[in-house]
Amino acid sequence: MGLKHVSKSFLLLTILALSMILIIACSSDSASTSNPDKNPSKVTSSPQSGGTITIGLKEEPDTLDVHKTAMSAASNVTSHIGGTLLAINPDTNELEPYLAEDYQVSDDGKTITFKIRQGVVFTDGTPLTAQVYKDTFDRILNPETGATVAASLIAGIEYISAPDDQTLIIELKAPSAPFLRNLASPGYLQPLSKAAIEKHGNDYGRNPVGAGPFIFKEWVTGQSITLDRNDAFNWPQVSSKNQGKAYPDHIVYKFIKDDQTMLAALDSGSIDIAMGVAPKDVQRYRNNPKYYVLENERQGLGLFLEMNLENKVLSDLNVRTAINMAINKDAIIKAVINGEGTPAYGPIPGTIFGYDPNVENYGHKLNKDKAISLLEQSGFKKNGKGIMEKDGKELALELSIMAPQSQAAQMVQAMLKDIGINVNIQSMEAGTLIEKATKGEYDLSFLSYSYSDPDILFLLFHSSQIGGLNHVRAQNTELDKLLEEGRTTIDPEERKKVYASIQKIVVENAYWAPIYAEKNFYVVNNRVQNVKLSKVTIEYQDSWVQQK
Amino acid sequence: MKQFIVNRVLSGIVVIFGISIFSFLLIHLIPGDPVKIMLGINASPEQVVKLTRHLGLDKPLLVQYGQYITNVIQGDFGTSLKTGRPVLVEILERFPETVKLAVFGLLISVVIGISLGILAARFKDSIIDKLCTAFATLGVSIPSFWLAILLVMIFSVQLSWFPIANGTGLRDLILPAITLGVVASTMIMRLTRNGMIEVLSNDYIRTARAKGLRNHLILFRHALRNVLIPVVTVIGLQLAGLLGGTVIIEQVFNWPGLGTLAVGAIFSRDFPLIQGTILFMGVVYITINILVDVLYSIIDPRVDMGTKGA
Repeated sequence: MGLKHVSKSFLLLTILALSMILIIACSSDSASTSNPDKNPSKVTSSPQSGGTITIGLKEEPDTLDVHKTAMSAASNVTSHIGGTLLAINPDTNELEPYLAEDYQVSDDGKTITFKIRQGVVFTDGTPLTAQVYKDTFDRILNPETGATVAASLIAGIEYISAPDDQTLIIELKAPSAPFLRNLASPGYLQPLSKAAIEKHGNDYGRNPVGAGPFIFKEWVTGQSITLDRNDAFNWPQVSSKNQGKAYPDHIVYKFIKDDQTMLAALDSGSIDIAMGVAPKDVQRYRNNPKYYVLENERQGLGLFLEMNLENKVLSDLNVRTAINMAINKDAIIKAVINGEGTPAYGPIPGTIFGYDPNVENYGHKLNKDKAISLLEQSGFKKNGKGIMEKDGKELALELSIMAPQSQAAQMVQAMLKDIGINVNIQSMEAGTLIEKATKGEYDLSFLSYSYSDPDILFLLFHSSQIGGLNHVRAQNTELDKLLEEGRTTIDPEERKKVYASIQKIVVENAYWAPIYAEKNFYVVNNRVQNVKLSKVTIEYQDSWVQQK
Repeated sequence: MKQFIVNRVLSGIVVIFGISIFSFLLIHLIPGDPVKIMLGINASPEQVVKLTRHLGLDKPLLVQYGQYITNVIQGDFGTSLKTGRPVLVEILERFPETVKLAVFGLLISVVIGISLGILAARFKDSIIDKLCTAFATLGVSIPSFWLAILLVMIFSVQLSWFPIANGTGLRDLILPAITLGVVASTMIMRLTRNGMIEVLSNDYIRTARAKGLRNHLILFRHALRNVLIPVVTVIGLQLAGLLGGTVIIEQVFNWPGLGTLAVGAIFSRDFPLIQGTILFMGVVYITINILVDVLYSIIDPRVDMGTKGA
C-alpha cells in the first residue's frame, strides 16, 4: 500500500521515497493494460545482442534480500535476478506459467499443486526443485526472518510440501482469490538458493543469487547496481518472444532521488529509462522523437478524501454526501495531474478486478445546490459570513495532508467553502499523517493506494482494521460480512457481484470522497527498443539496445 | 604551543559532546516513528512493539542516549535501521566522495578567488575591479542550488558536455565542483583584493617599484606572500565548511556523498545513521578548525597562541 504524491517539488521526492518504504502487500504501482498503441516503441531493426540498459531508480534499495525488504525499488531490481512460479502476460493480463510449468487448484480451492519446471539452475549452480521453493517459503513464513511484504503475499499458506523434485503442494488456510496473482508478484516471491544464503549469511542482501535472466554483479553504495546477463537463461515466461537469454549484456540501475535530476540524466543520455515521470513532464517527451513514453493506469486511487466517522459533524451522512457533491474532480485532475487521469466515483478504479462500472451512474456527482440543501436538511444555516452554522457553531473541519498534496488541498478548501464549509489545511510529514490517521486523530485526510486486488477494501473498511488502515473507522456489519466473503469467494463471477455490492455500500455511505485514478509514466530513450510494461512490472526480456 | 593544542583539543571534545546531545534530542523531536516507517502501515501492533523493543526505542531518552554515547566511545555508531549495515561503514563509504568534491571545489574557489582578487587590486577602481566585485557580490547572493540547476541545464542537458548522475569520475566532478567553487571563491576574492590593495600601498612595495622591479614580480613575489596569510585561514575554514556544506549540491547532482546519505537518513528516520553522520561531520569540522589554528600560528609567528600573556 503506498501513499503517493501529486505535486512535484523537491520535497515530494523524498516523500515518494517514504511512500515506497511504506509500500506493503502490493507489488507497487502496477499496470492494468499495456496498450500497444499507447506504447509505441519504435521498432526500427531486429533484435541485437549487447549493450547496456541504464535505468533511473528513485530509491536505493535497503537490501536485495527480497524477504527482508518492503521497498518497491528492491522488488524492481530483484525481479530481473529471479523468476516467479507464475507470471502475468503483459498483453492479455492473464496468468501464465513461468517457473511452474503447470498448476492445478483443488475443488475446494484450498490445495494448489504446481509442477516445477525442469532444467532451471540458479547462478550458483543449485538446481531449482520443489524443495527449493518449500525452503524459500518456509524462510518467508519464519518470523525470525522478519519478512513483511513477502510474508503478507503468502500469509494464507497453511502448509507446504514437496513430495518430489517437481511437485510443490501448497495448502491454504481458506480458499483465497488473490493468492495465485500474488504468486506472480515480481521480486518478492522468487525462489532463493539456500546454499547462497548460507554462504553469505548477513551479507546475502548485498550478494543475491537467483534463477532469472540477469546475475547480480555489483552494488556501489549511493550510486548504482549492475546486473550482468545470465547466459544460461532459457526459461522465460511463455509469452516472451525471446525464449532464450536476454539481449542486453548489462542492466544498470542508478539511484537518482530528485525528479528534475532524473530528467536531466535522461536528457543528457546518462540513463535510458526514467521511471515514475510526473504528468506535467510527460508531454515534452511525447513530442520528442528521441523518446517513447510507456504508460499504464495505476492500480488503485491516486487521491481520495477520507472522512473520520468519529467526528461529530462527519458522522452525519448528509454532511459527507454534501462534501462529495461539492468536489469538482475534473478541475482537480486538470490542475494537479495535468489532466492525465480519470475521475473516481467509488473506492476502486477500473483497473482493479471487481470494479463495477455502474458506480459512474450512482456515484456522487458535482452538485452544489444539492450539497447545500443536504446541509440545510441537517439543520445547518449559512451565517453572515457565508459559513454553515448549527447551534451557533460554524461548520469547520481540518484537512490533514502531506506537503505535496497542498495544491489539491487548496482546491478542495475552496470548493467546500463554496457550500459553506470552512476547511483548515494542516500540512505534515508522511509518518505523522499516517500515525494520526491510524489513531483517528483527524477530520479529513488525503490518501492514495496501490493494490492489485479488491481485497484492499478489507484493509480499508473492515471493522477489524480500525487502528490500522480503516482510517474512516467504519463499523458496518453488512459491509464486514461482504468483505469477508470477497476474500474467500473463488468463482470470479460470484466475486465480482460481492465487490459490486461493497462498492455500492461504500459510495452510499460516503465514507470517502474519491477524487481520481491516475497513470504511471515511464520515458524510454529510443536506443532501447521494445520495452514492455506488464501489469506488475517492466519487462526487458524482449528489449534490446540499438548498437551504433 | 603544546598547551594551546591541548586546550583546543579539549574544547573540541566538549563541543563534540554538545553536538551529540543536541543532535540526539533534535532527532527525537522529529515527528514520525521509525518503526512504523520500517514496517509499513499495515504492520500489526505486536510487530511494532517487538521491533520497538528490539531497537531499544521504548527506553527513556536519557537511557537511550547513555547507551548510544557509550557505544560511540567504543567506536560503535550502531547499525542503520534501513540497511542493517554498520553506520560507520555507510559513512566511510560515502565520506571519500564528499572529500573529493570539497577539495576539488576548494581548488576551484582558490584559483578563481585569488586570481580575481589580484586582478581587482591591480586595476583598483577600474572597470575590471568593478566587474570582479560584481562577480563576488553575485556569487554571494546566488543560491547554490540555483546555480547548480542552471549549470545542469546548460552543460548537461543542452550541450551534453558533462553527464549527470553518471558516476564520480573527473568529468562528473566538474559541474558540482564549479558550483561549490564559485560560491566559495567570493570570500577569498574579496580578502585577496583588500589585502592586496593594503599591501601594495606599503613602503616596501614602493621601494620595489623604485628599484624598477617588474610589475608581476612585485605582485606575486612581494605582495601576494603577505596577503596569503589571512587567505590561508579562510581557505582552511572553507574546506571545513565545504565538507559539511555540500548537502544541497550533492542532492542536485546526485553525488553519492555524506550529504545525500544524511538527507536520505532523515527522511527514513534512520536515527543511528542521522546521529552518526552529524557527529562525524562535527568531528571533521572541529578537527579541521584546530588544524587551521595550528597552521596559522606556524605560518605567522606573530599570532599569539595564548600561551604567554593570556
